[in-house]
Amino acid sequence: MKKSNGEKIFNFINIVFMFLLCLVMVYPYINSLAVSFNDSKDTMLGGITFYPRIFSADSYKVVLKDPIVIRAFLISISRSIAGTLIALIVTSGAAYAITKKRLPGRKMILMFLTIPMFISGGLIPMFILFRYIHFLNNFLVYIIPGAFSIYNMHVIRTYFNTIPSSLEESALIDGANETIIFFKVMLPLSKPVLATVTLWVIVGNWNDWLTTLYFIQNQNLYPLQYVLMKLIRESEMLQKMIAESVMKGLSISRTPSVTPQSIQAATLIVATLPVVISYPFLQKYFVKGVMIGSVKE
Amino acid sequence: MSLNCEILPEINKYYSKEKSLWKDIKRYKFIYFLVAPAVIITFVFAYIPMLGLIMAFEKFDIFKGFFGSPFVGFDNFKMLFDSPQLANAVFNTLLYGAVILFGCFPFPILLALLFNELKDNFLKRFTQTISYLPYFLSWISVVALLLNFFSLDGTFNDIRKLILGSEIEGFNPLMDADYFLPLLFISHLWKNIGWASVIFLAAISGIDSQLYEASTMDGCTRFQQIIYITLPGIMPTALIILILSSGMLVTSNFEQVFGLQNLYTLERTDIIGTIVYRKGILSGEYSMATAFGLAQGLCSFIIVLVSNKITSKFSGQSIL
Repeated sequence: MKKSNGEKIFNFINIVFMFLLCLVMVYPYINSLAVSFNDSKDTMLGGITFYPRIFSADSYKVVLKDPIVIRAFLISISRSIAGTLIALIVTSGAAYAITKKRLPGRKMILMFLTIPMFISGGLIPMFILFRYIHFLNNFLVYIIPGAFSIYNMHVIRTYFNTIPSSLEESALIDGANETIIFFKVMLPLSKPVLATVTLWVIVGNWNDWLTTLYFIQNQNLYPLQYVLMKLIRESEMLQKMIAESVMKGLSISRTPSVTPQSIQAATLIVATLPVVISYPFLQKYFVKGVMIGSVKE
Repeated sequence: MSLNCEILPEINKYYSKEKSLWKDIKRYKFIYFLVAPAVIITFVFAYIPMLGLIMAFEKFDIFKGFFGSPFVGFDNFKMLFDSPQLANAVFNTLLYGAVILFGCFPFPILLALLFNELKDNFLKRFTQTISYLPYFLSWISVVALLLNFFSLDGTFNDIRKLILGSEIEGFNPLMDADYFLPLLFISHLWKNIGWASVIFLAAISGIDSQLYEASTMDGCTRFQQIIYITLPGIMPTALIILILSSGMLVTSNFEQVFGLQNLYTLERTDIIGTIVYRKGILSGEYSMATAFGLAQGLCSFIIVLVSNKITSKFSGQSIL
């Protein structure tokens, strides 16, 4: 079939638009990467785009030597792993139970788990509860309260439902009990959906800094994202102080070898690198779950 | 004797029913064991805080607990309406919510349509993959990217100098409360547009391809196909997404607003969430902050219900 001129023009514009879109999506990150590897004083002259003008790894030397950053890195990793493991066990267990149509009380359990989607106690009662059960300034606050997600449960359940029940029945005939069916039949067959949910939960844990803002004051428990937040706030304070003292006519004699801006860029890169690096290889799993979730029942 | 004979089967039936339920429960005991952690976690971290909402009607004392503190009725709510700072926060919350909810809504649909028109599969996958990336960055990382982009020696000012001449004074929109809303809008769109388009692409791929074939036979152009087949085909999905996110009208995104706020813009850009955080967690005015949170939660619940009602009336789409 012959294409009309209008169609050709449209296709061309569409492709140009897509390139622009990609540029807009990745430019801020590449620019920050370039700034983080550029000489601090040179950055202040402006004009850094896709690559560093004067290469320098000084900001990384400062950031990676900082004990707070190292500690935060470990916290981020350990909470992501522990949080994800527990979330997977809790969520897939619940999902399996909900697939059992003849389970006495199934409807009630489902209702019980669904109501909090619509009504929630909000931040302050949660804060008070955590205070009573000693979850404030406690590593457990990262992994326990968020371990169950009804949305992820539905995604896993939808997948469980696609597994033919004849598999389960034949395992029953062969003498398997529910424990064996769950661990040896259902879970291994559900690897694709479990991979998707695992990735979501890991990224969610890695990116979370609100939990720390609300419930943690102990510096030893800061994750990387929170350290980045602190850094942004501090450099704002610093900038404002400098601006004010310039207005008052005081001169700034301190000329540090690295500026807050470079440190911020380097911390940003460290805090996002695990996600950005693994993302191209894993993105198909990220998307798969949305497709599963969108055909719910 | 005759009485017994009549009752016996009934008793037996009753008995066996009871027994089979018990047998079922026993048979499923491992299943209950599997679902127990989810139930316990939901009970402790979702239902107990719901009970804790009683704080909103008390002069809460941390040592007396949820049920021992003195009851004050609606006093906390009255205080809410007296404070001008809070009125401003309510206004901002609604404004930001409305602009983001309705303003950003059409763009992922447009993007999905454009993705769908790409005929080269590699190009399609590549651009899609790139467009999802920002979704997986945390809000605070996005804020750091914005700070870098808009800083006085960043790309934004480089471009301004290129267009307006190099003697123009540097300008950072992040430090100006007037630009807060446009920045919220742009950053939300940048972060979410790609990911939000996934669901619409899925909906498009679910449209019966016979419709397209038939319309080509009848001489439809591609543009007409989009207007008369694709758009109506994804309308149900679009409406459900709109209902599900309508609660955003009154909640705003705390992470985004809190992240973008700074010393220069803080005063004029407060939302309910930031006030609840400052009053409740930083200054310990628990009861008042709870009252505020409760009022907000109720509003968002009502909005979801109402919008669900409206859309189900007009189009038959409903989430409940």
